[in-house]
Amino acid sequence: MTFNPLEQRGIPLDRQLRNWRELNVDPIDPDRCDPYTRCRVITMNGIEVEAILFSHQLARNTVDPEIKRQLAQTRYIEAQQQKAVNWLLPGLSSVLETTIAYEQVAVDLTAWVARMEPDPYLKQAYQFGVLEDFDHLYRYANLYEMIEHRKAESIVDNLTEVMPGRPTRYHHRDPVDNVRDPYAKDQADPLSKLHALTIMSTEQQTMNFYMNTGPTYMEPIARQLYQEIGLIEEEHVTHYESLVDPGETWWEQLVNHEYNECYLYYSFMEQESDPKVKAIWELHLNMELEHLHIACDLMRRLDGREPAEVLAPRAAQRADVRAEQGLSARTARHADGPDHARRRLRARGARAVREDAGDDPRRREPAERPGDARARRHVRA
Amino acid sequence: MSELETPQAGDDRSRDDDVVALLMRQHGDIRNLFDEVEATSGEERRDAFRRLVRLLAVHETAEEEVVHPFVRRSVAGGQEIVEDRLKEEREAKEMLATLDDMDPDGPDFLPKLIELRRDVQMHARAEERYEFIHIRRSTDVTDLAAMAKAIKAAEAMAPTRPHPGVESGAKNMALGPVAALMDRTKDTVRKAMGGS
Repeated sequence: MTFNPLEQRGIPLDRQLRNWRELNVDPIDPDRCDPYTRCRVITMNGIEVEAILFSHQLARNTVDPEIKRQLAQTRYIEAQQQKAVNWLLPGLSSVLETTIAYEQVAVDLTAWVARMEPDPYLKQAYQFGVLEDFDHLYRYANLYEMIEHRKAESIVDNLTEVMPGRPTRYHHRDPVDNVRDPYAKDQADPLSKLHALTIMSTEQQTMNFYMNTGPTYMEPIARQLYQEIGLIEEEHVTHYESLVDPGETWWEQLVNHEYNECYLYYSFMEQESDPKVKAIWELHLNMELEHLHIACDLMRRLDGREPAEVLAPRAAQRADVRAEQGLSARTARHADGPDHARRRLRARGARAVREDAGDDPRRREPAERPGDARARRHVRA
Repeated sequence: MSELETPQAGDDRSRDDDVVALLMRQHGDIRNLFDEVEATSGEERRDAFRRLVRLLAVHETAEEEVVHPFVRRSVAGGQEIVEDRLKEEREAKEMLATLDDMDPDGPDFLPKLIELRRDVQMHARAEERYEFIHIRRSTDVTDLAAMAKAIKAAEAMAPTRPHPGVESGAKNMALGPVAALMDRTKDTVRKAMGGS
């Protein structure tokens, strides 16, 4: 792939402001849309929400009023982007239907990231999380059948498996057990940084969504379920944010955020099946390119460093929400058997896992490993 | 779709003693039947469509008899809320009548059905958001149960699944029987409400 966001110029910031008519997007059709279009919408909403909240935190930690103003300018545009993206969701859907779509994102996007992640320790962290997302999808599917008499398959369209996993009571841990080891910013593959930021952001939005929509239910079983899963989402945000190296400077983090937005909008633009939604991804990509340049200038000025040093020279593999397509999901997820992620993550640290994996983590990506056949048997049993 | 199964209210063994929960499940049943009509063809589609028409007729009639009067009477601004819903119901019924006259395998049937589906879904969501929420807020458990009993009595007249021995599809396609069904639904609901 030749796409390099650092070499492209986008729309100048002073021409990015949209009027009400432009923000008033046509929502997707809940019954007839490509479920993966909805997954991309939910993903990009999570990414934009994180961009806005991160920028607010950065502004609160910035003394220079001139820089605060600059952040406010870009942030206003990002807030418009968030509106344009999230308002693609249809009012015709119930909260529960949107919830099931959130869990489809959690399963498919995380499964994709787990498969593409070059670092074996981070890979395990995603495999660990995806198992729990899978169980959440099942719990909400049950609730959907009870309240609305519909099968979750009518939403996920048989692209993502909905089947019983483990009881969610096993997801509640001592909070200290949710804190993982971070990647090392100077050694990590740039793709690993994008993965961590992406999954952290989407899980954070899932947490926000459940904490805000849970109490809108009348049914006691629904209220209880959103509380329970909402608390597990708190664990997931803790889990994923701890993967990010806290040694990155604020400006380096800002650049990573903007770079990731370019990477995702570009990837989704290439995959999008709905032409109207595709046009939004393309427009937003062209906006993000400019945000990235502004962030890069800030990093050069305030850190005295060249952003190219910390970024991927190219966006290697494109992000994809369609992880489960054409695969037996369980086999894809449980490469070493069903419990491996939990067992090894708990027992050993990042270094031990990486040592096990040998020198080049990417060589640990063979099509078939000894555990695969066993995992498949386990699924069928 | 690999396996098509339209659940019947009562499959989940819930007690259905809450009219709001019951009506929300019926909204799901209606959507499931739309799925079934879209996914089938020929005699199967005719049959699924007949069940859809029956359920829609019974469901809307029961709501008109039970839910709307309650909202009109007991909710502030209820008059306006109900007017909006009735307008939607009238439009849906007109479209239903048009569809009823069409050949289910003809080229115009499916686009029209999809249009109806969207209208019905908008109507259902509006009920859930602007009516049901008031019913739960301002009604005690015995009222909910009495209303549920009336709706259930009506529902018995509209099976979601085909069962053997039922008259052939073509005979039921005409709107005549549907109009009669609505009348019978009204009687059944009134009797159930009066008897509770």
